[in-house]
Amino acid sequence: MNTPKDPIIEPLNPADYLTLAMDEEIRQENMPGSLCGFVLVLDSLPDIARLTPRITEFTGQFPLALASLQQQGDRFYWCKRAQTLPIFFTHDCPDPEQTEAFQQATLLHLLNQHLPRETIAPIEFHLITGKDTALFLLRWIHPFCDAKGADLILKYLCTEDKAQREQFDRPKSKALITVQLAKYKWWEKIKLFIKAKRYITRLDRYHSIQHARLDLKPKQLNYVTHTFTAEQSKRIAQQARAHTGLGGTSLYYIGCLMRALHTLAPEQPGAAYCVPYAFNLRKQNAQAPLLGNHIGTLFAQAPKTLLTNRQALFAHLQQQTKETIRQQLDYAFLPVMWAASWLSLKKYGPELRFSHNDGSERSSVWFSDIGLAEFAERSFLGADVIGLRHLCQISSPPGIALLVCQYRQQLTLSYNFIEPLFDEAWIKQLHLLMLQELLNETN
Amino acid sequence: MKQKLRHFIFEELIFVADSTRFSDDDDLLAAGLNSISIMRLVMFIETEFNITLPDAEITVENLQTFNKLGRWIKGHQT
Repeated sequence: MNTPKDPIIEPLNPADYLTLAMDEEIRQENMPGSLCGFVLVLDSLPDIARLTPRITEFTGQFPLALASLQQQGDRFYWCKRAQTLPIFFTHDCPDPEQTEAFQQATLLHLLNQHLPRETIAPIEFHLITGKDTALFLLRWIHPFCDAKGADLILKYLCTEDKAQREQFDRPKSKALITVQLAKYKWWEKIKLFIKAKRYITRLDRYHSIQHARLDLKPKQLNYVTHTFTAEQSKRIAQQARAHTGLGGTSLYYIGCLMRALHTLAPEQPGAAYCVPYAFNLRKQNAQAPLLGNHIGTLFAQAPKTLLTNRQALFAHLQQQTKETIRQQLDYAFLPVMWAASWLSLKKYGPELRFSHNDGSERSSVWFSDIGLAEFAERSFLGADVIGLRHLCQISSPPGIALLVCQYRQQLTLSYNFIEPLFDEAWIKQLHLLMLQELLNETN
Repeated sequence: MKQKLRHFIFEELIFVADSTRFSDDDDLLAAGLNSISIMRLVMFIETEFNITLPDAEITVENLQTFNKLGRWIKGHQT
């Protein structure tokens, strides 16, 4: 749609186009676009009297929260709406005995809602009540912020001191992709661009393995979440350190996932697993920038022949990442993302994500290691956080994502999948294999 | 050497409100040095100081503080 012409607040940053192009692709599949969800499972209701004004204050400090995402000419902008939308909703469980079913159904309904891009609020807060638990859902469209930004928004809501809340998003900076690119001379940017193209060509030597039932039409997003005990999480961290070293925790999860997928369907066509993973351009612990996407991309790729040998697979993934960082191939993707932000949304995916050899999706699975959730040390406005869930709409293929997060020394895995391309039984089988892999109990 | 390390870590990897208050014995891992940033740091050290650091030595003991990093690097300089 190109008709609305509301006043511009600010343009999208180049990294936001990656998620916007994904939004468009998902919509083309008759799905709701790039909706994401960060869910806190609470042991009771949070203090609404404190939460409501804090959300209002948030929209005052960050007016983009009420903006409309619109196309004007060839570019996209956050625009001011003529009328303010409500963004905080409560969903009361009608029957306390049906709490779990109600909460699950409400969550899935909210993440599967089809709404036009221009009319949807970029972020919404939903409180879903129940007998012994409540869910607090932060739902946003991916161009609005990345996972770290969502974590920071929750941290903002949990921060009691107003002066400290005002420090969020300080110091104000430009989009970090722009800041990083500004460090290079123009010829260095071109060199990086060429490097990235070569990197992509190398990745495309292998046809990526996909597991989705591509003969079926996507219908809805579903998810399965598993939280490890503190003891199990500690054992997994020890295994990760032993297999991929201090610098390779994400690689350990990715390697385990590749092996679990392979064990589940060893005859699946394709020559290699290819797993992209975003890395944060923010400095660790920085509270800025809050909004927008500030990520670069890396790829972990392993040919089928390596998957049966655990040690060899992890050594390969570790060496691959080291080489990628040594050759600056991680930053090489940034000029490509910047250049691609000038493409139409239709061309963006094929240029950046699809294999140049066969035109299919390069990624076998989406993966995100959110890391340590920082939002609350103890509670969420008076309610104890007893669990986390992460959801994200995904393009099909691959139609499956694994989102990893740690909170209070506990590791959480959220499998997101598009039905009927995948079903819950298949994901549960995958998860059982993943447990064995993570805990190194495969023999 | 420590100045170069401090500059790289605080400019590129970790946000601290006041880096002058971060001592050479303060915990870098607790301050947020994570997976990818550790890889970046090792690559920076190898390039900047023209040394090769064995993977097996990328441990908490060698990375935890500026002082430990300094000793690790010196151990590989001829």
